[in-house]
Order: sequence, then C-alpha cells, then structure tokens
Amino acid sequence: MINQFLQIFVPRSRWLTALILSVSLPALAQEIPTYAPQPAMPGADVKLPNIVLMSMGGTIASSADTRLNISNYGGKDFRVNPEEWVEDLPELKGVANITLEDQRAPQDRAAGETFEDFQRVAKRLNELAKDAGVDGIVVTHGTNTMAETAFYMNLTVKTNKPIVFVGSQRPWTGLSGDGPRNLYDAVRVAGSKDAWNKGVLHCMNQVITPARDVSKTSAYRVNTFKGVDVGALGYADPDQIKFYREPVRRHTNDSEFAGMDFPSLPKVEVAYAYRDAPAYIIDAMVANGVKGIIVDGTGAGSPTAGQTEAIKRAQAKGVVVVATARTHGGRVQDTIRRNEAKIVPGDNFMPEKARILLQLALTKSSDIKEVTRIFNEY
Amino acid sequence: MSRTLLCRKFCGLFIFLLSGVAFAQAQLPNVKLFTTGGTIQSKGDHRQKLMEYSAGKIGPEDLINDLPELKKIANVTYLEESNIGSGGINAKILLKLAKDVNEWLALPESSGAVITHGTATLEETAYFLNLVIKSDKPVMVVGAMRPFTAVSRDGPFNLYNAVRVAASPEARGYGVMIMLNDEINAARDTTKNNTYRVDTFIARDMGPLGYTDSDRIVFYRKPTYRHTSKSEFDVSNLKDLPRVDVTYVYQESDDSAIKAFVSAGAKGIVLTDNDDKAIKKGQKKGVVFVKSDRKGSGRVVESEKQAGLGIVTSDNLPPHKARILLRLALTKTTDPKEIQRMFNEY
Repeated sequence: MINQFLQIFVPRSRWLTALILSVSLPALAQEIPTYAPQPAMPGADVKLPNIVLMSMGGTIASSADTRLNISNYGGKDFRVNPEEWVEDLPELKGVANITLEDQRAPQDRAAGETFEDFQRVAKRLNELAKDAGVDGIVVTHGTNTMAETAFYMNLTVKTNKPIVFVGSQRPWTGLSGDGPRNLYDAVRVAGSKDAWNKGVLHCMNQVITPARDVSKTSAYRVNTFKGVDVGALGYADPDQIKFYREPVRRHTNDSEFAGMDFPSLPKVEVAYAYRDAPAYIIDAMVANGVKGIIVDGTGAGSPTAGQTEAIKRAQAKGVVVVATARTHGGRVQDTIRRNEAKIVPGDNFMPEKARILLQLALTKSSDIKEVTRIFNEY
Repeated sequence: MSRTLLCRKFCGLFIFLLSGVAFAQAQLPNVKLFTTGGTIQSKGDHRQKLMEYSAGKIGPEDLINDLPELKKIANVTYLEESNIGSGGINAKILLKLAKDVNEWLALPESSGAVITHGTATLEETAYFLNLVIKSDKPVMVVGAMRPFTAVSRDGPFNLYNAVRVAASPEARGYGVMIMLNDEINAARDTTKNNTYRVDTFIARDMGPLGYTDSDRIVFYRKPTYRHTSKSEFDVSNLKDLPRVDVTYVYQESDDSAIKAFVSAGAKGIVLTDNDDKAIKKGQKKGVVFVKSDRKGSGRVVESEKQAGLGIVTSDNLPPHKARILLRLALTKTTDPKEIQRMFNEY
C-alpha cells in the first residue's frame, strides 16, 4: 500500500519537471509563478505555492452523529472548522503553504448564506487577488448553490490567479467521504500554473470545470457536477493536473464587472415555463419591483401564451426579460420572433446563472441591445 | 427523383450565375472541399436504406450542386482525393491529403478547408491532420450517418455547417474540427460513440468546442494542447509512415498478437493494458510500447514504474489515436522519454 503510494507521489523525473517549466505561456498582466505543479513529498527542496483555503461552509464543513449518516448532517453542533481539515489531511502540507480563512455565515443565523456574505467574500477575493503573497485560492461551499456563487465570483473578481470552488456530497466525517480527496485536489489545482487565466474553476470528483458551465446534476452522487453541454476543462489526476481546454467567454480579469463593489444588485427573478403556466406569477414579480425576469422557457426557450401576455405588461414597465431553455442543454437563439418580442436570448445559461448575469448587466444598462451583447460575451 | 435532382442542378446553376453577376465573388471566403468518400458520398438502392448502401458514389461536384445555399456563404472549389469508405484510408492517402490541404491553406486567398470522410475512421484522419496541418485556418472534417439517397439524411446540413465554420475567421486557431449534428468538436478528443445515430460524435468528458446555430457560430472552449501551426510534426518529406499496431488486452489474452505484429515489422505497438513479458521481448527488438486504455474516458496516468520499464503512457488518447501520434513520433525518435513528452503535449 505504502509502496503504491510512493510510486504515485515521488518527485517527477527531471526531464518532466524541465518540460513542465519550459512549456511556453501566454503573455499575462501578472507573472505566473514557476513552482512545480506537482511538488514532492514534504521536506523536498521545491517552492510550494501559497494557497488561501477559505471556508464558506457546506457539506464539506459538516459532520454527523454517525459515519453512515450522509443525508441528515450539519447544523449548529455539527460544524467542521477549517483547522480540522488541515489536521485530518496532513498531505496538504506537501502540496502548498496553506493559510486558513473562515468566511462562514454566522453560526446563529438560521437562514444560512445571504447576499451580504456573498459580497463580503467577493470583496475579500478581490483583495487576495492583489496580494503578491497569494498564488491561488480555494473556496469551500455548500453544493446546492455553489455554481451560482462561483459564477458570481467569475464575473466580479479581478484576477488571473486560480480560484477553485470545492465541496463534497458526503459530510467530512461520512464513511467514504469525498471531501478530503476533493479538498486535496482543489488545493493542487489552485497551486497549478496551468490553472492561471482560466477564470473561477470548480473541482470535485477529480474533474476541473469552469464556473460558467458547471452545474449540480444529481442530488446525492459524488459525480454530481458536470459542465452542461460543453464538458470539463481537465482532470486532477494523481500524477498531474491536466488541462485540455480553456474557456472562450469573458471572465475575471477580462470582465467589465470585475474589481467593482456592488452593495446591492437589482432584483431579478426566475419564472418556470410549463403547460398552462399562468401570467399572474410574472405580474406578481413586477408588482414586487423586479428589474429583470428570466423566463426558463419550454423547448428552445418559449414562454407560454399566458406568460407572453404578462411579459408584454412587464416590458411596458421597463422590466428586461431574458429567455433561457428548460432543456438545460443547447442555446436559446437570436431569432426574428424573439427580437420582435424584445426578449434577450439567454445563450446556454441555466436560469439561475442567467439571473446573476442579468443582475450585473442591469447595473450598467437596461438597453436590450447592450444586455444582449453581455449575454453573447460572457 | 431524377427530376428533383435536375431541378436542384438548375437551381444551383441559377444561383451560381446570379452570385457571379450580382456580387463580386472575391468578397466571399474561399473554401476548398477535399473529398475522400464515405457515407456522405454513398447511394443506397432505396430511400430507407441506412446500411449496405452500395448503389453508387457521389462525386464532389454533385455534393456542391446539391447544396446551392453554399454559394451564398463561400466560393467552394474542390479536389477529389479518393472516393472510398473510411476503412480503406491508408498512410499514402493521408500523406497526400495533408500535403494538398497544407498547399491550399498556404495560399493567402484561402479561408479554410473541408474534408469529407467516412465516419468509421474519421476521427483518426482528423487527429492526424490536427498534428500535421501547418496553418491556423479552420480545417473541418465532415461526414454523415445516413447516405446521400436516404430520407432525413444528415449529410447536407453537416456539409453546409462545415463550410460555414471553414469560412469563418473567428474559427481560426482551434485546430482541426469535426462537424456533424450542429456540434463543433475538437479532432483530438472526439470519438464515434454509436454505430448509427446522427449524434454519434462526442468528446467524452471534455465536450464540444461550440455550436453552429442558425443565428451564429458560437465557441465556448479552446483546446490548450499543441496542434496545427504549433505542432512539430512535418509530413512534407514523408513518403510513408512507420507501422504501428494496436493489441486489445482482455482476460487470458497472451503475447501471440504482439509476436505476430513484431514479426510483421511493427515499429510501435499500442496496448489497452500491460503485458509485461511480451513488452520485454518486443523492446529487445526496438519496438516502442504505448499503454492506452479500452475504457474510452480518462487518462492513463504516468508513473515512475511505467517510465522505468520504458513504457509510454497515452494520456487520454484512445488506442487508435495513440497509434496516430506514435506513428508520427517514430518519424522523429525511438526514445521513450521523448515520445512520452509528445504524448504529454499533443
């Protein structure tokens, strides 16, 4: 067993290290550090990356009464502090110099994470991005809304450093818990020079996926996160962190929303389309002061007849409407009919992500053409 | 049937003349169609025939005339490389095809290239071209799952989309791409996944690069490994490629296949798993061994143990693509360490 472990983790041979260091890199605003992406066991003479490990909580930061409890865990008395992760996972010291940071929602708050928590973390990530002593950041998060938080950071944090979101499907104390391996891999990805300039990333189940496209697809399985339609960027394999793709859409350093402070965001809600979906839900949203509505339409993004009437009333009050497709695969296209209806095509976004992008877009403009440009570019 | 075709021909001719008269042809991108054959160029004896279609072949001119809409998006010229099923594609055809495509793309007036191909080995040719084309201009490999004569045939739209992407300046720098079913897929990562369905080509794990939607062509991903203009492989002086074979490893498989390949003159062998004894014997005769995998997803990870035995690992290349890279690698070196570098980079 130990022999097998050593075979996998002993230092790479010199020719390979030389190769990894000599791979030509794109010109960047900030210089990418030259540490080895897969460093040796503790004590070897290599420069380890400085990684901030930030807890926003989640299943990965939860424990349970028994090892077999993987569905009813966490809460006030079953929290795992970031220090406990490092204690349980001494191997982390072999791959990075870790600084811990606790950004969990206050313990006494019943409702969990709020917009203020979101904002505080975005601000902090922008600060860490500027800190020359930080090479990469890992953020833990509950898996239910992790893709949304990661996408928000992908649009608002100005950096070319790796920011890697990670969580687990089973609590930290669960039998065959996926948390420890996920955390270890996320730190390795955050410490990889190949992960620079790829926007906010997600890494669980040894698969690296960009924040824009990652989505939770299964309630309990450990392979729940997928890049819908367009797949993953690479793998966190035992021998190396390997990338095959880079995202084409604008993110982080290249985002027009990055590095800015948003103390509040315009209200945007999601209306789901189904046979006979009524108008009154959309009317109620407008009555409650929304600035934008995402209609998660049937087929290629079509609202129902009832919804269509309500959309016209909403638009007359200046509300911007974006169409996504409840197929959760494929793009909503820029068609003549949709143009005439002044509905912005929501590309291939999940509705909850289209909502975040529309919230940010509305801080700049409520012009349909400008919002369409933003949906085409991000 | 013949009347429809005749009508189509006239229609195509009309639009051709119209475009020649009304528009300056130089304004449209120049795309060259290199045809090799395959289902997309095959005829069945009736419209419901989706297999064993051997009632005749379609030439490049017929493909173009069948699709007058092409005239609005590109000036399409053609060169017939072969007209055979993809099982018959060999090193000679591959090398000539690569040289012809390189020659075309070197011309300043060319915008891109489209290659028609049978789907069975389409991904092998696409990956080969991805390694040896010396240009950033888009190169599209296209096929069809249903023959030219079939009801609901997929070929025409696939071909139309392939020309659209080949004509698009924003498609430059993505390497060689595979175009079927409205999906733009990377040559390296894409594999045929189903024997008959039209959505057969998928890149397991990594997904497509983008789509050819009606409103526009969209890209979401760019490959990060070396390809086309960044590749070190050069076929301009090659007359043949070294022999490389693949052996499938299964319960109770023995070294008889490896022995036979070595005696037939194989310079490299790709395995779907280890067979230590046979490898040692082959290595004594100078044969290079690459370990791939039969699962079709995920990497074969590198290890000190494998490297110590002089075995190259194939990253996530399936056996038939590892074979293509090994053939080209062997035109440069037989050093396993150097070949491993290539498998890590391409």
